Amino acid sequence: MSDPKNDAGTSQPKAPAKDPKKKEEEDLSEEDLALKQQLELYVERVQDSDPGLQKVALESMRHEIRTSTSSMTSVPKPLKFLRPHYGTLKAFYETMPDSDLKKYLSDILSVLALTMSAEGERESLKYRLLGSEGDIGSWGHEYVRNLAGEISQEYIKRQSEEAPIEDLMELVQQIVSFHMKHNAEPEAVDLLMEVEDLDLLVEHVDKTNFKRTCLYLTSAARYLPGPDDMLVLDIAYTIYLKFEEFASALQIALSLDNMQHVRQVFTSCDNLLKKMQFCYILARHGITFELDDEMVADDDDREALQDIINNTKLSESYLTLARDIEVMEPKSPEDIYKAHLLDGRASAGASVDSARQNLAATFVNAFVNAGFGQDKLMTAPADSSIGGSTGNWLFKNKEHGKTSAAASLGMILLWDVDSGLAQIDKYFHSNDNHVIAGALLGVGIVNCGVKNDCDPALALLSEYISKEDSSVRIGAIMGLGIAYAGAQNEQIRSSLTPILNDAKAPLDVIAFTAISLGLIYVGSCNEEVAQAIIFALMDRSESELGEPLTRLLPLALGLLYLGKQESVEATAEVSKTFNEKIRKYCDMTLLSCAYAGTGNVLKVQNLLGHCAQHLEKGETHQGPAVLGIAMVAMAEELGLEMSIRSLEHLLQYGEQNIRRAVPLALGLLCISNPKVNVMDTLSRLSHDSDSEVAMAAVISLGLIGAGTNNARIAGMLRNLSSYYYKDASLLFCVRIAQGLVHLGKGLLTLNPYHSDRFLLSPTALAGLVTMLHACLDMKAMVLGKYHYILYFIVLAMQPRMLMTVDENLKPLSVPVRVGQAVDVVGQAGRPKTITGFQTHSTPVLLAAGDRAELATEKYIPLSPILEGHVILKENPEYREDS
Amino acid sequence: MTYRIITRTEKNRGRRRFLGFLLYINKRKNTDFRRAKILFLLFKQNKKTPILYFFFRSIADSNPIMLTVSVKWQKEVFKSVEIDTSQPPYVFKCQLYDLTGVPPERQKIMVKGGLLKDDADWSTVGVKQGQKLMMMGTADEVVKAPEKGPVFMEDLPEEEQVASLGHSAGLFNLGNTCYMNSTVQCLHSVPELKSSLVKYSHSGRSNDLDQTSHMLTVATRDLFNELDKSVKPVAPMQFWMVLRKKYPQFSQLHNGVFMQQDAEECWTQLLYTLSQSLRSPGSSVNVDTVKDLFGIELASRIHCQESGEESSETESTYSLKCHISQEVNHLHEGLKHGLKSELEKASPALGRSAIYFKESRINGLPRYLTIQFVRFFWKRESNQKAKILRKVDYPLELDVYDLCSDELRKQLEGPRQILRDEEGKKLGLKANEKSSSSKDGDVKMTDAEGSSNAGGESSVAASQEGVPAGKETCLTGIYDLVAVLTHKGRSADSGHYVAWVKQENGKWIEFDDDNPIPQREEDIVKLSGGGDWHMAYICMYKARTVSM
Repeated sequence: MSDPKNDAGTSQPKAPAKDPKKKEEEDLSEEDLALKQQLELYVERVQDSDPGLQKVALESMRHEIRTSTSSMTSVPKPLKFLRPHYGTLKAFYETMPDSDLKKYLSDILSVLALTMSAEGERESLKYRLLGSEGDIGSWGHEYVRNLAGEISQEYIKRQSEEAPIEDLMELVQQIVSFHMKHNAEPEAVDLLMEVEDLDLLVEHVDKTNFKRTCLYLTSAARYLPGPDDMLVLDIAYTIYLKFEEFASALQIALSLDNMQHVRQVFTSCDNLLKKMQFCYILARHGITFELDDEMVADDDDREALQDIINNTKLSESYLTLARDIEVMEPKSPEDIYKAHLLDGRASAGASVDSARQNLAATFVNAFVNAGFGQDKLMTAPADSSIGGSTGNWLFKNKEHGKTSAAASLGMILLWDVDSGLAQIDKYFHSNDNHVIAGALLGVGIVNCGVKNDCDPALALLSEYISKEDSSVRIGAIMGLGIAYAGAQNEQIRSSLTPILNDAKAPLDVIAFTAISLGLIYVGSCNEEVAQAIIFALMDRSESELGEPLTRLLPLALGLLYLGKQESVEATAEVSKTFNEKIRKYCDMTLLSCAYAGTGNVLKVQNLLGHCAQHLEKGETHQGPAVLGIAMVAMAEELGLEMSIRSLEHLLQYGEQNIRRAVPLALGLLCISNPKVNVMDTLSRLSHDSDSEVAMAAVISLGLIGAGTNNARIAGMLRNLSSYYYKDASLLFCVRIAQGLVHLGKGLLTLNPYHSDRFLLSPTALAGLVTMLHACLDMKAMVLGKYHYILYFIVLAMQPRMLMTVDENLKPLSVPVRVGQAVDVVGQAGRPKTITGFQTHSTPVLLAAGDRAELATEKYIPLSPILEGHVILKENPEYREDS
Repeated sequence: MTYRIITRTEKNRGRRRFLGFLLYINKRKNTDFRRAKILFLLFKQNKKTPILYFFFRSIADSNPIMLTVSVKWQKEVFKSVEIDTSQPPYVFKCQLYDLTGVPPERQKIMVKGGLLKDDADWSTVGVKQGQKLMMMGTADEVVKAPEKGPVFMEDLPEEEQVASLGHSAGLFNLGNTCYMNSTVQCLHSVPELKSSLVKYSHSGRSNDLDQTSHMLTVATRDLFNELDKSVKPVAPMQFWMVLRKKYPQFSQLHNGVFMQQDAEECWTQLLYTLSQSLRSPGSSVNVDTVKDLFGIELASRIHCQESGEESSETESTYSLKCHISQEVNHLHEGLKHGLKSELEKASPALGRSAIYFKESRINGLPRYLTIQFVRFFWKRESNQKAKILRKVDYPLELDVYDLCSDELRKQLEGPRQILRDEEGKKLGLKANEKSSSSKDGDVKMTDAEGSSNAGGESSVAASQEGVPAGKETCLTGIYDLVAVLTHKGRSADSGHYVAWVKQENGKWIEFDDDNPIPQREEDIVKLSGGGDWHMAYICMYKARTVSM
């Protein structure tokens, strides 16, 4: 065999030069040398004219290649030695007549092309298609992987040429089945996604690999554009259903927001306990869902299940958690402020009440004691001599402050409809309109996320929405919005929409009506509501459009399309006809809401582009654009980190109105997740010379620490409270933030994402976004007379607990390991899902990024994700260790 | 019409307050139920127990439709409550009143889509057999606004906001006037001075007082008054003008700007003026308020070593000087240093000038002890008042007992004893034991130091007798720090003066011109120098007194 021939026959760029090769030859061990000579002999024989000899040679060559134990890092020896002869063989192949032998040679050439083929030639695939179509796996993993890559390239080429692809698909079938059998689910999924035929996957998954497959599918979905992600999730849903992993299927159905799928899960499953678990998942997601007899046949069972969806028992389990953690003792605002740690500068034992500070105390008290049913200001027994009697505290607030004070009772009794309504009742008989308004709002707050057959909130509030006094009307309307967020209640719509187009209604009533409708129809794309809000916007006069409250109208419109992506386009077109004062604002709000929680990078770029412009004065649309970045990017961890960095840039180069929104955007990105770098940024901004930036930063410090009791943030806020002791407005913000950090004494979270950050509760996000939009104009809203707008965050409040219950739904204490979640997507085998864990017994609190797993084999959880309520079933195979 | 009255005792969970009379009035159809309501209200007005219920029930209607529902009220569920659908819902509410004690007009019963109205028609309400109803309402008292609402700080006029602020206002810097501002703030913290200034009237000018002193006094009074009233910083324009008029040295200009001045000079001059003007003209004796408050009497012994001559003299001063030399690390040492001096004067015995040693002791203590740290000295080379940066510690509580003359010490013994007893009591120890032991110790110490004549208990007893009887506040020789005037910078005519004043509520405020900043007590004693930070220049101590 001569080298010149080889060089002449091929023009392989990969062909090594002569000299080193000679040297190499000398270095070869005897064994290798023998192998090399053997192979060279085979190559010669293959070119022999005798078919018998050819066949023997091919067989032997094939044998050598297959048996070579290929290591991962180097090219197998037979391939290496055959490299110089690739061209020879190729040339010979062309001259061969069609025969089995030709196919044989084709197979071998296909394998050799793995290392020899020039970039983009796809020779491996070419020879494979010409070859014998034998078992693909026999040539090893690397070969299959290479083939898959070439297929996807070829597929794209053929798609553009509109050439047939049948032969490719056949190969794809083979490859997928090979991958699926060999722990290479990600490769299989990738290939199928390339050739746009994911349906094939369903027939190839089996019991052992469907979980990994689905995990890969769901996490890949986050990075896919447009309709592809839906498709991928749909496949995952089908696979889960196929293997009766109903709870996971339900989660996917929820993330698709596909109620048909949810129904299907219920009808496909016939285990009552599992259905109960589904109900817990639905309840946590915070959507309104009615069971019918098709889903659950038995009436009593259905009632019990519906009760779970309606969150009727939420208050009970929350209190169980509180008792277990021993935080039932009510806390006063002073316990939170911890003024004794700040000697000197602490507010000099003021003998006179400050209305602003009392209002702050009202909110702090409400946030801290949220859901506990008792506190030291509002519910303390009237005869207590400490001076905490209800009436007294209520009247320690001024005018509209009384509204927030009365409503705070609703927050304290959150989710506990029965006693909540009873305690609020007495305020209905007050002769002060502010108090009545507060009571109405309180009723709404108590019913937040809790549904009741009797619809007490609707019954109580509906008669007040057309009252004369606008504060009473706002109270009732806002109450309805909070109580029925996401419910899409027709009755409320028909009574609220007329207000929007009532020429006599004051602007604030209209603004709150719009928001309430937006919340009730969140993410529904409801045409009629959208129309009503659009008309209301068009009816506004020039001067009204300049009012800060008007910004709630576009937001309400946006909420209707929350997370609904393209569905917003028609409305966005209409919004282009608005008065130019509000046009861009509306555009930004709609865009950011529609793509909220999608992680759509293009939209983030679009929004960033808007922020990069330098404005003529008077335009305000950059605020919602900045918030929009956070809303879109909060979907997944990577995009989140990137947008934190981009926000940092905005902070440096942006105009003042952008700088004011950046802290709020950071607050949304890391809500209830005190990341140290964000904390530092916000801490720096909280001393900003622009007081609005400082206020937003302070509020955001509260948001990122919400419900964590984070000592570092608490310390920062304490120092800020002494730093700003003279600035009443900033001090108010500091107090609110302190209240947020100790939200529910550290048992609550505001994160709208749940179930391992996979599902986004639309109502929770809507509540947060509303509150943040209000904070864009702090002075007019939160520091003005609309401070009760802060109560919208009640929509996002959820216990951050893991509560395990037995088959009778009674709390069951079991050991669990809680640790930092580890990303196991695409890893083979059964990798550890948590790290740095500690073992606790349930109920237990879960921090941001925490994951739990059972530490006992005695029970089997009915939900794959241990969060919220999890039903445990006894493991029949469990043997007590002796 | 037939009446049946049923009596039963209601034992509904502790709510035994009423004995229910159920009065079934059997009536014809078409009962005017309003009449019944009126009757009901009548009985309610009487508020007499037993309360009467009227339960209407038509027996003429041969076939009333009865529905059984369960009613949920708070956490209770009343199962199988009957509704007579031929009667208005008000009757149903009366039934619930019986069960829950919630008056019908305060009941809110939730039915689909709204509240149950008193006069609604059951058929339109759509209640079904076995339905769950929810009732809301309490018998609690309706919350009433307190008759006198709270007063909010935001609503208060400015003067009253001051009280809640806990400190008085700052003073604007009118251009290098921080020396004056800090002096005024320190003196402003002396309530006695304020009260005697208030008494000073325009007309009260005595003839021997010159016009400018009078004007300065009036200006001081007005300024103090304004400081007390406002929350926002005050511009002491009038005061400054009068001060410059009275003491032209403060109008020194440098490059067209008023120069920084020595705060100590301002302090001394101001006090001097006030001491002139605040002699109450009415009383026969020459009561000098300022002297009474700030005056220190010193008894000095002048001794010439060469001739052995000795003489003594007394003098009165408004401040003690704390001399700072290499050995002085503490205020006490500095004060001792300051009370000893060397002077050269003509000796009559020697017929030439000789070195005399002067040793002073305090013979009379003021209520406010002013101490000046002699930090500035005239430096010839640089032609300015240079500053000694040495760190000199000063205490929050100063005892000047060992600087006093023997005579004064005797006077102080008694009050000091009482003070110790009181403190002992406060500590919760047995007053007697503690005081006797500590007394012994203390007395021995004073013996050793002062080489006083009498020893032990007897002298104490004697001095106690010596003190005039009756309730009277006596000085103890122990002083508490109430104000510090600090200087930051390298010379007296430059840098920055700041006043640190303890407020009546015990909090310290740093008055940096127009900006009052709360401070911690620990930080006050850190102003002792030894760096470029603010360092104490003048300290004002307030006497701790006991009443006897």
